[in-house]
Amino acid sequence: MSNWYIIAQILGVITICFEFASYQIKDKAKYFLVTGIGSFFWMTMFVAIGLATGMSTQLSLIVASTYSTIRNLVFARIFTKNTPQSKEAGLIFLLVMIAVALVAGTMAVINSPAEVRWLHIIGMITALGFVIGQYLPGVHYVRITVVFYAVAVLLTQTPLNILHGDFRWNIMGMLIESAKIVSVIVFYIRFSSNAHEPGLKFAKP
Amino acid sequence: MFQIISDGGCDFSKAEAQKYNIEVIPFYVSFDHENYLKEGVDISKEDYFNRLMAEKGIFPKTSQPSPQDYIDVYTPHLEAGRDILALSISSHLSGSHNSAVLAIDMLKEEFPDRTVLLIDSRNVSIGQGLILREIIKMRDAGYPLEETVRIAEKIKQTTRVYFTLESLEYLKRGGRVGPTTALVGGILGLSPILQVEDGQVSQLDNVRGRKRAMKLIEEAMVAALKDETQNINLSIGHVVCPNDAAAFKAATEAALDMKVENPITEIGVTIGSHAGPGALAFAYCKKYDTV
Repeated sequence: MSNWYIIAQILGVITICFEFASYQIKDKAKYFLVTGIGSFFWMTMFVAIGLATGMSTQLSLIVASTYSTIRNLVFARIFTKNTPQSKEAGLIFLLVMIAVALVAGTMAVINSPAEVRWLHIIGMITALGFVIGQYLPGVHYVRITVVFYAVAVLLTQTPLNILHGDFRWNIMGMLIESAKIVSVIVFYIRFSSNAHEPGLKFAKP
Repeated sequence: MFQIISDGGCDFSKAEAQKYNIEVIPFYVSFDHENYLKEGVDISKEDYFNRLMAEKGIFPKTSQPSPQDYIDVYTPHLEAGRDILALSISSHLSGSHNSAVLAIDMLKEEFPDRTVLLIDSRNVSIGQGLILREIIKMRDAGYPLEETVRIAEKIKQTTRVYFTLESLEYLKRGGRVGPTTALVGGILGLSPILQVEDGQVSQLDNVRGRKRAMKLIEEAMVAALKDETQNINLSIGHVVCPNDAAAFKAATEAALDMKVENPITEIGVTIGSHAGPGALAFAYCKKYDTV
């Protein structure tokens, strides 16, 4: 077994830790930073797999994970600065990201076999929903949309790969996506025990 | 007894100023950035906001009172032998405080035996108004000037102001949010919740829909104030939405099981220009005898 393949598994475990942690965080800037670091390790995991099995098989995943890393870290910076200028720049960046995802998603839909095209469309819609959900205010939108997105990735991408009837499961991919879903469930279990706390906090006089 | 003088940032009405025997030095406002009108003197709040709503795309400029405006108001009281307690809008938000400092410096030589003490409220609108109300109570209770200033400095540390806006339109006009943010915020129906913290206005949260914003505000207010209702003074203000303000007042009184004694305030140009019609605000501070 290639050393790069073992390194990829380690990077995958690190990704799981960061992705799980990110959905326990209410503060938007910190969430983006932690999930951004998770996306970075996710990207390096694909690079390591590429070094083990050949880069051409991983190229699209490396591009997609690089896109996520940049998006999350840029948003982390924007939400940390929290100025009118940074917000405006962030929104324009978000719209560009949506446009890129739309173009890439549409290309994937067009190039997919007709019988599984609907699955690609679902994948595109959930990915877009997630990007918008990340940006929307509050703690709920991002968590709801990431569950749909993770389920779509689980079903349509390498983890379960139902698109082509290929059952060579990618265990690490399944764990990463499942970690997001489990983290959201854990968050809501924690949240429900603190349900009496208001979503907004005012200072005591 | 000392004379109380505030700048127009306190959003007191003329009638209130007369009732409490205080002087209010108005801010200036200009639609063409050339001709300036005194708020509440040359143009009423109602006329100002009606024009703001009618003329899309304009953003009026507000300007602080000049040192001479302060001198003109201070001098007759000093000549009459009265000391002065002056209150200004947060020095982070306006040059009004600086104008007052300059005026006091200029008057020192002329009136060496008189005392003028200036407080930077580190607040604005109904927040500044609440501090002013406590100062008035202390004056009427016979507190000396220095003691009143000492307690007022403590009160301002306990003063909090929160606003929710109906739209981002007026923040956009004032250059406080970009056009893309305003456009997308409008599509999503975002209601920003702003706060005055350490003398500056900052965004506390962004909520989808006014109803949800009001619900969150009510919940947060109850959590922050439920154990303090005996010790606090509370005020509610609005920009051209008196019905919303009345409904909010009734909801607040029910939620906190207390009476909001202060009249609902019409917010003036200093904050109103940026917040825009539809803005709703509330503020609280500790009463002077509980700090």
